[in-house]
Amino acid sequence: MEKKRHSKLAWLWENMKGYRAVYVLCLVGTVTYNVMHLIVPYMSQSIIDLFLSGEQAAENLATKRNLFWELIIAMVLLTFLRTAIVYLSCMGGEVVSQKALYRIRTYLFDKIERQDMHFYATYRTGDLMTRLTGDLDAVRHMIAWVIRTIVESLALMAATAVYFFYMDWRLALCLFAIAPFIFLIIILFKNKVAPRHRALREKLAEMNTISQENISGNRVVKAFAREKYEIEKFDESNTSYSQTNQKTALTWLTYYPYVESAANLMPVALLLVGGIFLIQEQITMGQYVAFSSLIWAIANPMRQLGSIMNEFQRFSAASDKVMEIYYSQPEIVDKPGAVDRPERFQGRIEFKNVSFQYADGKLPILRNVSFTAEPGETIAIMGETGCGKTSLIQLIPRFYEPTEGEVLVDGIAVQDMKLRQLRGNIGLATQDVLLYSDSIDGNIAFGDSHITPEQVVKFARYSAASDFIARMPEGYDTIVGERGVGLSGGQKQRISLARALAVRPAILILDDTTSAVDMETEKQIQHSLSELDFPCTKIIIAQRISTTKYADKILVLQDGRITESGSHEELIAKKGYYYQVVRLQTGQQISEQGPSLCPDAGAAEQQSPGLDAGGACAECGKEV
Amino acid sequence: MARRNTYREDEVLETPFDFHHLLRASVYIKKYSGRMILAFVLSAVGGITALFGPMLTQKALDEAIPDKNIRMLVTLVLVLVGTYAVSVVFTTIRSRIMVKVGQGIIYDIRRDLFAHLQKLPFQYYDDRPHGKILIRVVNYVNSVSDMLSNGLINVVLEILNLIFIVIFMFLVDVKLSLVVLAGVPILAAFMLYMKKRQRKAWQQVSNKNSNLNAYLQENIVGARITQIFVREDENVETFGILADRCRKAWMQAVKFSNLVWPGIDNISVWVRAAVFIVGLLVMGPENVKLGVIVAITSYASRFWQPIMNLGNIFNNFINNIAYLERIFETMDEPVTVADAEDAIEMPPIRGQVTFEHVTFAYEEGKHVLKDLSFTVEPGESVALVGPTGAGKSTIVNLVSRFYNVNQGRVLIDGQDISQVTLESLRSQMGIMLQDSFIFSGTIEDNIRYGKLDATMEEIQRASETVCADAFISRMQDGYQTEVKERGSLLSQGQKQLISFARTLLSDPSILVLDEATSSIDVQTERALQQGLNAMLQGRTSFIIAHRLSTIKNCDKIMYIDQGGIMECGTHEELMAKRGYYYRLYTAQMEDIA
Repeated sequence: MEKKRHSKLAWLWENMKGYRAVYVLCLVGTVTYNVMHLIVPYMSQSIIDLFLSGEQAAENLATKRNLFWELIIAMVLLTFLRTAIVYLSCMGGEVVSQKALYRIRTYLFDKIERQDMHFYATYRTGDLMTRLTGDLDAVRHMIAWVIRTIVESLALMAATAVYFFYMDWRLALCLFAIAPFIFLIIILFKNKVAPRHRALREKLAEMNTISQENISGNRVVKAFAREKYEIEKFDESNTSYSQTNQKTALTWLTYYPYVESAANLMPVALLLVGGIFLIQEQITMGQYVAFSSLIWAIANPMRQLGSIMNEFQRFSAASDKVMEIYYSQPEIVDKPGAVDRPERFQGRIEFKNVSFQYADGKLPILRNVSFTAEPGETIAIMGETGCGKTSLIQLIPRFYEPTEGEVLVDGIAVQDMKLRQLRGNIGLATQDVLLYSDSIDGNIAFGDSHITPEQVVKFARYSAASDFIARMPEGYDTIVGERGVGLSGGQKQRISLARALAVRPAILILDDTTSAVDMETEKQIQHSLSELDFPCTKIIIAQRISTTKYADKILVLQDGRITESGSHEELIAKKGYYYQVVRLQTGQQISEQGPSLCPDAGAAEQQSPGLDAGGACAECGKEV
Repeated sequence: MARRNTYREDEVLETPFDFHHLLRASVYIKKYSGRMILAFVLSAVGGITALFGPMLTQKALDEAIPDKNIRMLVTLVLVLVGTYAVSVVFTTIRSRIMVKVGQGIIYDIRRDLFAHLQKLPFQYYDDRPHGKILIRVVNYVNSVSDMLSNGLINVVLEILNLIFIVIFMFLVDVKLSLVVLAGVPILAAFMLYMKKRQRKAWQQVSNKNSNLNAYLQENIVGARITQIFVREDENVETFGILADRCRKAWMQAVKFSNLVWPGIDNISVWVRAAVFIVGLLVMGPENVKLGVIVAITSYASRFWQPIMNLGNIFNNFINNIAYLERIFETMDEPVTVADAEDAIEMPPIRGQVTFEHVTFAYEEGKHVLKDLSFTVEPGESVALVGPTGAGKSTIVNLVSRFYNVNQGRVLIDGQDISQVTLESLRSQMGIMLQDSFIFSGTIEDNIRYGKLDATMEEIQRASETVCADAFISRMQDGYQTEVKERGSLLSQGQKQLISFARTLLSDPSILVLDEATSSIDVQTERALQQGLNAMLQGRTSFIIAHRLSTIKNCDKIMYIDQGGIMECGTHEELMAKRGYYYRLYTAQMEDIA
């Protein structure tokens, strides 16, 4: 996967592979039609000279009708030919630039899709989007237009220069003496404008990011009635972008008068020096006319150089941003010689003295965590907000790597597995439910687009989602908006669960997936999870005792350490954190003021003074 | 309701658009009309000055050089330098003005577009991928500025140019001029033919790019989901298809656009040939002076130059109108939840909330709430319970007027909330939504969002109340810790605590908590409850929670199902009633135990 880092132009060339010949042809075409552009005016000039203004015009018209028609037809045909070449070169440039754009864009997308978490934390969505749209467009423009213009200008200049020096080197030298000044001005301009273009790309990305967050967070904006604030925030970015844009354009306009004047000096110098040469009879009138009729072919490219440089700098700034992603390497990739395990995993998970901290964090998240989940077991993880539960489960699909210790699946360290195979065996329903703006059907079948509609319904039933989906007017074809808006939190969670189940994973990880689901629904889900028609190890993060109590093992995570571990009954007997949680959830806060409710398992029969908790406690007593 | 849009479908253009919509754009141009006229005059003067160039050259060749008059030659050269200098200075000034005008127009359009987007209801954001909204704000606006600034000036300049040339041409010879003009109908037919195709093609380009942007955004945001489901290959393939459609749409569009210029070039040569043929063969040298034909041919080529320029501008217009129409379409998007015309400021809220026969449906015919009536007294805390999708969130959404009711009224302190300004209403309410959105920035910034001028102390106090202070201070940079986009380094529970602090800081008169604590662990929630109880004092609050331990102490519990209130009362009352709530509660307790 590692690609050699190319320079910008070599990088472009690399991405034109397969179309290089077309591109070269299109550049040749560009040169050709420019040369033809020098020739075609001679057709109508000859007609005028021969049949109109010349001395034998009347005579020629009478006798050389054929020549007249030939010239007319040649003029029309040559123009047709020339414009055809113009069209074909233009289209050639478009074809190649679009193909390269397509190639780079899909490559970048592929890159982004396979990056690790560090990357996503570094680059913001709006920023990445700018790189794949606005910045990439500058790259496309480079191929389709800028390079062709450069070739065109150089070709015109070179052709005319050769012609001029051939005709009269002294006069030509006088004219070309101006060129170094133009080059100098353009170099000065380049140094000034390059940082401006870089700033401009940044401002564009910033504006994209601000808009993107505003659009995604539109609910919060409205909830806090912060529209004005958001408008101000955007206005700042809008102003700053607009001003940077102005500055960039005005930078060019600061240098433009010099470049333009220098280019204008060419016809002036021609008139002065050529005039003097004419007076001194060093050149003929014919030579002078030849010079003057082609002086534009030198002056115009010189003029163009400035805007070409401007475009080039734009490309340069944009391609820097594009290439940064193009050559970025995720740190989490398949090791060479990774174990190939195409078969279904058994689902044994083992954490061996795992410690973890985020690369850009200074504080450890997990400390010396060890536990084992045998195939088919259900492990529940419980703990306070921010204790490291989510970090822990993210180590299993290798979203992050432990700083110490090992995470093993089926006895093999996850680092030694192929990511595809590892993750293909894991079904994960994340805390922050992210659905796609697609049909419900499409969302459930996200992990396995080959499953049948019947299976989709089955998995929806497993996750207790089939009822509400069936009630929707379009059922499984209902399009859920981006991030699943339009659905309640609990509904989103259930679809996300169905999506995780639909891959029939050997390892199912549920990260607080039922937090927004009502109790009755949750009960159904618990039930179906225990009766899945495929073997599956389950790691479940949950806050609710109703979820954890059926687990084979409950891990209590406190400040990154496992402080309690065991079955529901064992942990209650331990009277630690878990026991506290059980008491809290059975609604026995009151007990803190009044007599203790469930002082220990043995005293369970004791009736509660609390209105409701009594029954629950009695239940609890039976259980313990 | 139109079906929700996805990256798969092109958006239907709701408001058909054509050149007359350019008039609409004139709002943005008007502001700069003074400067644009100045720029126009500068261009015209610069252009006229440039005309002296050939005259001076001619004079030098005809007089100074044959006379071997070097003095005169030098003088003429100096005058020529002068005219060039004037022309350069004028052009530079014009360009400087137009850069500012162009940027000003972009800025204005973008500002208005963004401001309008802030007014649009949830529905708008729910119905289409966000990438499709985004592309309009950022990419499309960028494209149209040149057309609206330089494009317009150039059109006027070229047309004036054209008129002068036609007048001069007719003064020289009417018949030959007609020959030149005979090219115009051919051109017109050609352009009309092209226009139809180009319009469609560029609309396609805009559609396909919009689809691509939508997919791109979703996949960047959801990259982790893609990876866990090992969908990379399929997604790359889908993206490839979308990118390829963009490419094809573009090629289709430029296939036509690139034809315009060569087409005009060919027509101009046919016309020149026709002038030669008619002038020399049909009319004959005996009937027409040589000079006339020479003059007409030179005018003919000058006549076609501005037309070619116009052709390019035309191309640009056609291309950009596809973007402009999308921009205006968004600006025309009706603001369904807007301030009433004579809306008043909501006076300080005491907190009485009344629903009067409220009926509401998100989609026509599918009632979520039916004839719902209830009153909540100031300071009361109300819990809404019931099955998922029963309409609990809808009720709280109506209190904050995120949607308009279909029938009935929602009153706060006896004031119909549809008659007060949204800002004065919502700024007195604290709403914590299910999805706790975290902006990129520091934790402090995120909490401060609730009260922009809050002191650090206030922020800290709010965080302490919701038990967020502990984990925030433990983070490496405390309140200054940068949370990445969507708070990617925070756990869901931490995000909820932060958005809780944010809500608290806004010191609302009415508090709405919609599953605000679902991801917070029980221990923390309990600690939080103490702070919350203090906070609930004197505020009307609506609480939606599935964990019944959270809501037991509420003054009133409403069991919502089938679009109405099935039961209402205190925990004790409802338990005694042995109805829905009782069943829910006992089921939960059984479950836990």
